[in-house]
Amino acid sequence: MSVTKTQSQIVPGSACWNCKAALPAGHFCSACGKIQPLPEGTDYFAFFALPQKLTIDPVALEGEFHKLSWKLHPDNFTRATEHERNLSLERSSQLNDAYRTLRDPLARIEYLLLRLGLRKEGATKQQAPPELLEEVFELNESLDELREARAEGGDVASLRDRLVESQNNFNEKLGGLDEELASVAREWDAALDAQPNDATRNALLARMNEILNRRSYIRNLVASVQKELAEA
Amino acid sequence: MGRTVGIDLGTTYSLIAYLEPQTGAPKCIPGPNGSTLCPSVVSVDTDGRILVGDPARERLLTNPDRTIYSVKRLMGRGVADIQDELTRFPFRIDEKSSNVIRVRLGDKLFTPPEISAYILRELKSWAEKYFSDTVDRAVITVPAYFNDAQRQATKDAGRLAGLEVLRLVNEPTAAALAYGLHKQKRGHVAVYDFGGGTFDISILKLISTSEGDIYQVLSTNGDTHLGGDDIDNALMDVARREIHTQLGLELDRHGEAVQELRRALIRAKHELSSSEKVAVKCRISSTQTYSREFTRSEFENLIRPIVARTMAPVKLALADAKLTPKEMDEVVLVGGSTRIPLVRKTVGDYFERPPHCELNPDEVVALGAAVQADILESGVKTMLLLDVTPLSLGIETMGGVIAKIIPRNSTIPASAQEMFTTGVENQTGIDVHVLQGERELAKDCRSLARFQLKVPPGPAGLARIEVRFLIDANGILQVAAKDLRSGDEHSIEVQPSYGLSDAEVEHMLEESIEFAEQDFAERQLIEARTEAEAILTATEKAFRDPRSEISPAERRSIENSVAALRSALAGTDYKLVRQRIDELNQATTNLAEILMNSALQTALEGKRLDDV
Repeated sequence: MSVTKTQSQIVPGSACWNCKAALPAGHFCSACGKIQPLPEGTDYFAFFALPQKLTIDPVALEGEFHKLSWKLHPDNFTRATEHERNLSLERSSQLNDAYRTLRDPLARIEYLLLRLGLRKEGATKQQAPPELLEEVFELNESLDELREARAEGGDVASLRDRLVESQNNFNEKLGGLDEELASVAREWDAALDAQPNDATRNALLARMNEILNRRSYIRNLVASVQKELAEA
Repeated sequence: MGRTVGIDLGTTYSLIAYLEPQTGAPKCIPGPNGSTLCPSVVSVDTDGRILVGDPARERLLTNPDRTIYSVKRLMGRGVADIQDELTRFPFRIDEKSSNVIRVRLGDKLFTPPEISAYILRELKSWAEKYFSDTVDRAVITVPAYFNDAQRQATKDAGRLAGLEVLRLVNEPTAAALAYGLHKQKRGHVAVYDFGGGTFDISILKLISTSEGDIYQVLSTNGDTHLGGDDIDNALMDVARREIHTQLGLELDRHGEAVQELRRALIRAKHELSSSEKVAVKCRISSTQTYSREFTRSEFENLIRPIVARTMAPVKLALADAKLTPKEMDEVVLVGGSTRIPLVRKTVGDYFERPPHCELNPDEVVALGAAVQADILESGVKTMLLLDVTPLSLGIETMGGVIAKIIPRNSTIPASAQEMFTTGVENQTGIDVHVLQGERELAKDCRSLARFQLKVPPGPAGLARIEVRFLIDANGILQVAAKDLRSGDEHSIEVQPSYGLSDAEVEHMLEESIEFAEQDFAERQLIEARTEAEAILTATEKAFRDPRSEISPAERRSIENSVAALRSALAGTDYKLVRQRIDELNQATTNLAEILMNSALQTALEGKRLDDV
């Protein structure tokens, strides 16, 4: 591990740092071809010159990823100035971060919500969705019983079966949530084309956020069941 | 500027390769004995001279306390990490070492990067002799599953050897590159790399684009402490037990026999790849000899658990790549241990296809490194490697829990930004602990570094420090911080948890007497002088020979050349000495011919040449 100093940023988006030509959006200066610093606040969609839509053709995205990798990778800059090497490192790491996020439909939605200020990184609601309260209560009870049975040598097998059953049940719910999320995402894309007002946009974003919260809650449940089953 | 090479710094053997400009094909450079394999063994003799490779390996038998092998196992590790190794490897670790291991060889202490640097220097000298030119830049390979500290230690070794490390490349990726060149294949490739000390599996996707080929690593996994060494140790354990029960001897009390036996068993292991049985015989004490026969099936039963251990990382890597064994188009074997039939069979059965092993598994990694070195050096890109970071990067949060900020198998370079603030009023520092690993708790992960962000005193939560973590194309972490309120960049004092600080490496560099270029020039001068002495002696002898009938003009011309060479010898310019040697050679061509012809005549007359 080594420490580098943040390079003094040249205000991007205005002129090329090398030839001072006016810059349109892009990775390189169209006049002299030099790699450019990343404008502050560039989001992953913009990096790929994509609108903030949630339906992305994975094959086209991968193709673009390979094309940009070919141009931006540090391999191209081993003999360039330190400034250009740093810019390459910055752009190519951003490219990889962006591709990693956008290729995964779920991560893509989380990222959009994060960018639009609806979600905090790593913050997931820990309270159970109301419609699941009863099932969650039952599940937690079974988990307790299993732990107890294991400690005291009780009937682990039948408890196992019960847990496997509720795990399947929750997995099914996850599938349902994924479908719901995909459908709201499509609504978002359609709304974006129709120049939506703020209220419409915010309502769609809030719905996606709410589904994601439920989803992550259930996922945590399933993970804890899996862990207990593995130990039992 | 000198030459650029690719180096495979292996646990058991190290190799150096370059790209031959005429053929465009990578080639390994042989050492003095004609072999391209340099045993990764270093020995220090009583007057402090360092021996590397075959001569050092000889000294494993005669001077085991001054000789070290498998030092790669110690790279980037702390004393606490290697307790299990110490029971199996005769490393003599200095008690005072903690975060940086210091190994005792004779009466001196060395860090693992210093020892590795000696191996790199030896390889560098092979190449310099081969090119008659300096070598100053290299691509060095590392196991894909090496963590940050192990990579940094390898980079430090390169620096200490006087090499600019252009890039660290993962071994299986380098192998895939050499393999892809060879086969021109597209699709999914699994590289199973079972070497002397480490095991790696990488899943790659080979893509053809209009610009060139891309080798994209999808996932990687491995075990940095699983290799042929473990097989040797298993054989040693059997022998140790049997020596105890059959001969009533404690092997470890017979230090000189340990290495001899180890060698015999390694030879047996190699032979069992082609024979069904092999006899081992080794003298343990002056009166007692251990001998036994190993059959292949016995050997296979012994090593089955070790081979089985490689399959868990294989399954994890496939799961991360979201692929099944059947979806692999090719399986490539790398590393000496893949010569073992059981390994080939295990891999073939799992992937349901015969693995490729047509490339020399010892050389393929170095060859790939040479290809990458050429791309970086020439700036002419014919292919692109997209590699990944093998381990997740995280920071410690409340309660010792890890927050992952860059997941494993992310394409590198990769980055993450984290915002830090103060929790209490007038707090002046924020502690950050960076770790690598897959476990949930900090105590189970590998600590990379700790540092403190300095903040001006103020209300809690006011400070806003953005820290950018960036894993570069070598897989090494860089950290930069920025105070978002003032816009100032932050200086961070990072204390690496393991390994040498920059200052320590600098210090070692200054301390090392033989600097790279000086080293090369000196060696060239010594060689040129030796050659000059030989030709001067030969010329004088020829002058004294009664059969050397040459004109006075020719004689004068030779005498002039001799004088010129002698004056060049008084200086230190090896190029001038070489030039004068050439001139003298030129001047004596005719004389040499005369002598040769009369010698032939003498021989034809039935006399032995020696008598002339």
